Parts: sequence; C-alpha cells; structure tokens
Amino acid sequence: MGDDMTGRKERSIEELYGADAERADALVFGRRSGPSRRGFLNGAGLAAMGAAVGGAIPFAANMPGGLIPAAMAQGAAPTAPPAAPAKKGPIYLNFPGKNDKLVVIGERPLVAETPEHLLDDDTTPIEKFFIRNNGQIPEAAKEPDKWKFTVEGEVNKKLELTLGELKSRFKPQTRRFVLECGGNGRSFFSPPASGNQWTNGGAGCAEWTGVRLADVLKTAGVKPSGIYTAHYAADLHLSGDASKPTLSRGVRIAKAMDPDSMIVWAMNGQPLPNIHGGPVRLLYPGWPGSASQKWLTRIVIRDKEHDGPGMTGTSYRLTINPMVPGSKADPKNFKILESMPVRSIITNPGNGAKLAAGTRDLKLRGAAWAGDFTVRRVDVSVDYGVTWQPTKMEKAKNRYDWQRWTASLKLPQDGYYEIWARAMDSRGFMQPHVAPNWNPSGYGGNPMHRIAVLIG
Amino acid sequence: MRGVVSVIIGILLSAAAVHVISAQPKPFTPREENPEEFAAGSGRDETFYTCTACHNFKLVAQQGMSRRQWDETITLMNEKHNMPKLDDKEREVVLNYLETAYPARVQERGWQNPFLNR
Repeated sequence: MGDDMTGRKERSIEELYGADAERADALVFGRRSGPSRRGFLNGAGLAAMGAAVGGAIPFAANMPGGLIPAAMAQGAAPTAPPAAPAKKGPIYLNFPGKNDKLVVIGERPLVAETPEHLLDDDTTPIEKFFIRNNGQIPEAAKEPDKWKFTVEGEVNKKLELTLGELKSRFKPQTRRFVLECGGNGRSFFSPPASGNQWTNGGAGCAEWTGVRLADVLKTAGVKPSGIYTAHYAADLHLSGDASKPTLSRGVRIAKAMDPDSMIVWAMNGQPLPNIHGGPVRLLYPGWPGSASQKWLTRIVIRDKEHDGPGMTGTSYRLTINPMVPGSKADPKNFKILESMPVRSIITNPGNGAKLAAGTRDLKLRGAAWAGDFTVRRVDVSVDYGVTWQPTKMEKAKNRYDWQRWTASLKLPQDGYYEIWARAMDSRGFMQPHVAPNWNPSGYGGNPMHRIAVLIG
Repeated sequence: MRGVVSVIIGILLSAAAVHVISAQPKPFTPREENPEEFAAGSGRDETFYTCTACHNFKLVAQQGMSRRQWDETITLMNEKHNMPKLDDKEREVVLNYLETAYPARVQERGWQNPFLNR
C-alpha cells in the first residue's frame, strides 16, 4: 500500500473488496449488481475484467456481484498463451463419440456439420450426425426413464409424463427420417447471410424410435382453440439466464397431428444421445430442425401462432415479396419457413478426389430429399450443366426418408471436372443454380451441389 | 481480511460456473480464443471481450457486414440475448473495429448486383 504519483492511495484488491464488495465492483470495473445479486458488467467493464484475467469470461452474466475472478484473487493474472496464428481451412471436431472429420462451424455454441462424403451410409451413423446447439449443452440425464415433460395449454387435460410412462402407454414406431437444420446451405448466399455458415452438412438421416405426437395430443385432448404448438426445453441460454428460453419454436397443429411427427427417445436403436437432445426430443421431419426441440420439457398448445425465440423477426422465415440481396429487411415481409426445399448431395466420391490417369468410368453415389415432398428425379452433369444424365433412385423406406441414388458416368479425357447434381421434387421444382430469394438470415439456400475431381 | 475474502470466493465459485476455474468436468471444452487470432485493428481487444461473454468470437468473425448491419446486430444482442447495453463511447469503439475489420464482402468482378446499396 503506497501512494502512486498522483497522490491517490493504492489499496490492495483484497482491501477494496473486503470493505465493500459492491462498491469495489463499481469502482474497479464499473459493475453494478442487479436485484438478483448478479453483477452485470457493462461492455467496458467486461472488457477490462477479461483483459485482467487474460481470457474471455463465458457465463459472465452468472457471476455474482462483488466476486473477484479467482485469477485475480490469487495474485498476478495468468498470462494468455502465445497467440496461435489464424488457421486457414476447416477446424475439425473433437467430441466424444463423434467422427473426427466433422467440421466445426462454431464452438460456443457448439455447431458442427458433416462433409457430404461422410453422408455416404444409407442410414447416417450417430458418430457422423451433425450437431447444432443454440445454448449451453445440459448435463446428460442420469435416469432417462424418469425424464418428465408436460402437455398443457389449450387441452382438455394437462398431461405430465415420464419417458417410462410414454414408452409403456403409447405405441412405439421407428422411422428413418432426414433431420435438417433450417439454415442448411446458408453459406451459398451472395452476399453472405448472417448465421452459421452451413454448406450441405446440416442434415442427416437416422432411424428414430418414439411415438406419434398425435397419440399423445389426442390423449390430452386438443381444444378447438388450440391451433399452434410451443416447445420448451432444458438447455440454458448462453448468458446463463435460466428465465430465458434458448430457442422456443412451434408448429401449426396440423403438422403436430401428422402421423410422422414424433416424440423420440432412440436414434439408430441406441438411447437418444444427450448431444442430440436426449433423453426425449420432438421430431418433425421435413421442417427446419429447430422445430424438433431437443431436451423436451413442455409442449404448450396455444390459441395463436407461437412467438417464442426463433419464431419472430426474420428467424426461420422466407420473404413474401423477394427483396434486393444485401438490403435492409422489412419484418412484415416474412412468412414462416415450413417444408424445407429440395436438396441433393453427391456422397461419393468426395470433393477433391484424384483419379488415376486414363480413368474413364466414374460411379457416383448420393442422396436427395425434399421437405414434405418426395424427390421425383436426380440428374447429374460433368460439363457444368451443358448436358444432363439421369440417376438411378432407390425407394424411400417411408415418407420423409431420403432417397439414395447412383449413377455411372463416362468422362471423355484426363483433366479437371466439376460434377453437379440437381434434384427435382414431386411438384416438378428443381434446385436452383445459386442460393435463391436472398434474406438476411440466409434460409432456403438449396443450390446444386458440385464436386471437383481430377483425372491424371 | 485476505482469508475472509478467499473463503467467500470459494463459496461463490462453487455456485457459479466461472471459466477461469474449471468447475465440473465437461465432455467438450470450447477452445480458448485470443484476440490476436483475429483481424488487427483499433478496438480489437475491447470488441473481443465485449462480444465473448456468451459465444465465441469466431461467430462474429465469420460475418462481414456494413456498419449499419453491425449496429443492428448489437441492438439484437441487447434486445433478444441479454447483452448489457454499451454506452455511446464503447459502441463507437466496437462499431469502428467491426466495420473496418469485418466489412461487407464486396465482389470485385463478375456479375454485380445493380441494386446493391448498403
């Protein structure tokens, strides 16, 4: 404790906080404690504290007012590790039970996509299935069969069910469905749209075991006033505020009553993994994945369109009148995205395949899907769309399954080729050349997939 | 006095999952980011720490937007995602950095959108 040059008395941090922690907070960091006793740092304060401890402070909103970060209380702040040079190229996921070639799009929240060549299995294995979180990842439930969820709101009888009760009271079914993120394909928009920059890998097709949501809703008895669902879950908002849902979307009651809309507890015959929303999640095939709430705790039947986080503004919405790409959006010009647009992927070979000089025959494999619709055909081109060749499609196992396809191509000579795939849905709608109908949040980006191969 | 403060910190830290001390072991730990990994510029460090209370900075660095769009994004964070408001001076520092370091990506040649006006 000495005097600094300006004549002010220096005080140790322990002295300052020991005397009056909240006042010390205000003096040192400009932090004011809220009524919940959490100290909400303003931007500069957070910046100062972050710099002082030598790292970002996740969950800063959780930090009680008057708390000195431990790094400071113990003396000098730890020095930050030497800065890694900015990495070019994909960052791969390192996550228990997951293939080490999934591409990380973001770590906090955790988002990782599956490169198209890893979607080559007829049924996507759990280890290759993409990951999408909006908030914090909850701890895995210790007793899955005791997991509780409710059905309430515009119903005759509120239901409270455990997973065990769900399994014993209702008829189970297993279906192979595509689950796809609403923003799949976002990276293809020009100019770039805001949000996770998916290529085509925010999708997978697994076997899902559960019950029909309709059976459960009929047991509760939906009133005539019940026209929309609202879903709630156990994952915490990134800020740590337990009162704030991370994501809460819903669907029109007709979709909820569809026999393929499910409450799911198993994936590919295994108990639904925590990272995929286990023990219990919703699954609405063909619609944006965000409607398929993970870690399900409540289904509330509402008498109007749900307006939770993820339902308003431009979230999961497409334009009504097409807008100028890159311009300012008018929120009144948007309608909710429901059926996902048609998409096809080449799963073999992978982008960048090198083939021996003289190779003239090339076999392709792939998959295609089309939201609420089916895929009528997939065609491929090796000459940038100058000529097209049909593919051989396999039958879907059930509605909302993807359709695998194969093709045998002849390549005229050695050299560099781009191979494009274009699906057409059962309405005759094809994939576009570029991501269509620009919107600031980048939904509906379903342009053709292409791979590049080099012969010789 | 030091002993009392240390005990209080211990109790508080066991309740709050503060990053600087690992609380429960988690199966996945996001990689530690540093401001130095990102585009240089005045206000980089302030922007980094302001933006990473909840999510990583890569989420920010992936976007390229006009000043108006970055400004609207900050407002969205305040209104929808619990981000504490910045005062005018702080907002100026952050917007200056973001508009310079992560501007709207402009395509130089090829097909140009004749209506594009940010």
